[in-house]
Amino acid sequence: MMQKILIVEDDKKLRDELEIFLNNNGYYACSLKNFNNTIKDILQINPDLMLLDINLPQIDGNCICKEIRKKSTLPIIIITSRDNERDELLIMNYGADNYVTKPFNLQILLAKISALLRRTNIESGQDLIRTKKFVLNISKSVIEKDNKKVELTKNELRILRYLIEHKDRIVSRDEIMDYLWDSNSFVDDNTLTVNITRLRNKLAELNLKELVETKRGQGYIFRGEVE
Amino acid sequence: MSYFEFLKDKIPQIILLLFAMLTIEMFLLVYSNGIFIKLYVPVILLITLSISSFIEYFRKKEFYSRIQDTLNDLEEKFYISELIEEPNFIEGRLLKEILLQTNKSMVDNVNKYKYIQEDYKEYIEMWIHEIKIPIATTKLIIENNKSKVTKSIEEEIEKIENYTEQALYYARSSTVEKDYIIRKCSLKDIVQECIRKNKTILIQEKIVVDTHDIDIQVNTDSKWIIFILNQIIQNSIKYRKIGEFSQIEIYSSRGKENVILSIKDNGMGIEKAEVDRVFEKGFTGTNGRILDKKSTGIGLYLCKKLCDKLGIAIELNSVKNEGTQVNLIFPNGSYTSMN
Repeated sequence: MMQKILIVEDDKKLRDELEIFLNNNGYYACSLKNFNNTIKDILQINPDLMLLDINLPQIDGNCICKEIRKKSTLPIIIITSRDNERDELLIMNYGADNYVTKPFNLQILLAKISALLRRTNIESGQDLIRTKKFVLNISKSVIEKDNKKVELTKNELRILRYLIEHKDRIVSRDEIMDYLWDSNSFVDDNTLTVNITRLRNKLAELNLKELVETKRGQGYIFRGEVE
Repeated sequence: MSYFEFLKDKIPQIILLLFAMLTIEMFLLVYSNGIFIKLYVPVILLITLSISSFIEYFRKKEFYSRIQDTLNDLEEKFYISELIEEPNFIEGRLLKEILLQTNKSMVDNVNKYKYIQEDYKEYIEMWIHEIKIPIATTKLIIENNKSKVTKSIEEEIEKIENYTEQALYYARSSTVEKDYIIRKCSLKDIVQECIRKNKTILIQEKIVVDTHDIDIQVNTDSKWIIFILNQIIQNSIKYRKIGEFSQIEIYSSRGKENVILSIKDNGMGIEKAEVDRVFEKGFTGTNGRILDKKSTGIGLYLCKKLCDKLGIAIELNSVKNEGTQVNLIFPNGSYTSMN
């Protein structure tokens, strides 16, 4: 089931592009087009997570935050273009869960969204990616197939997850590296090769070696189906 | 002011007086025959005039030497007009009035520029917050339309982002005290954020980043440090040896009363004669003049300025053709620790 993310942002172009971006990354994104009944609209749409711009034309973002918090535990990520420590402290005091500053790093935004959603999902037991051939347990960092289990290191888990999330297309080495760097793992070329080889060996233990295919000179592709 | 100097100032009056005395004496010599009168007139004149000049001298001397002393003790000399005691003679009162008026006009004038500057700073900050929106949108468009062309635009957009950031911190640099909050920050988070900021070029240019021993807390404003560190890392990237293996090593070490964060690269290094000048405003040096480096001479100048305001020491060591090491030294002694 796709998770619904609501974008509350007044800059139309930014809003539209953000919508496309989130849709491309496996979420169902929608946005508010006017801000007359912001709080009512938000509660009615009832998203799984909200991205909220702090500077809105009619109503202050902090105010929305406070009002929503009175009625719901909806995860909120604030988007702001102010970036000093004082504003940061203020934002957190209004009950937001996290924030990003414009111009945001998109991978960081995705990471923050998925971390927040995961936190709410763990409570409802949705922390698993189920493919036809195996189950990837993200919080335990384990591949499960039938009754067999293989543990993955942080990087291996990240790589596999990224490949699964971008299945059906070739993922380049640079792209993987980019993703790993965003998770604070500053690997170089050689380390990446080692990580991928180890991941493949672990998949081979479960007879799943064929799932990650190398496209020489282009990158890798995940050949599996997600349930 | 000595009595002699005081008298020197009065030479025309003294000459006139002597002339007057001389003529009076001549009249007396002709028309009077009493010896007592002949002597009394010049003597009494001399005595009274001397006494009156002494009185005047001491009054003025006391007044001016007090002003002199206060002036010497004052750090901000222009406050002097406020500190002059009400003088008991006309010139003194005039002087005080003049000083008060010029001072007021000067203060008004200075304030005018202060407001203009403050206004301009606010405008720049606002402008920067505004420009971040189109930058953010552009980055999203690039992400949604990945291709070789947009990748190349992304690199340029990242440069724009960095320059914008620099402008923001430049505008803030003169009034840091208003814009920072000192908190306990993790050096690790700070370093990681800076590396992530530069990942596109680091990955593309295959620059190896090695971080170790950075799991340390320091008391500082993380936003400012991120900016400073970012400038340093960008220098390391900019002045790497093209076509050779490039590496940036970032690590920290704990001194007795401080924490040192070191950023070490194996880049082209800086001429020995130029090392001492790298923190000067507008200094670009030999490296900066190399074609297409486009050094502005602002980056390190700003780093130094901000470090000074934050109470952090910054040092730079470099060996030509071997590399450069920058140390940021955070005070972390028993005195400054907040526990």
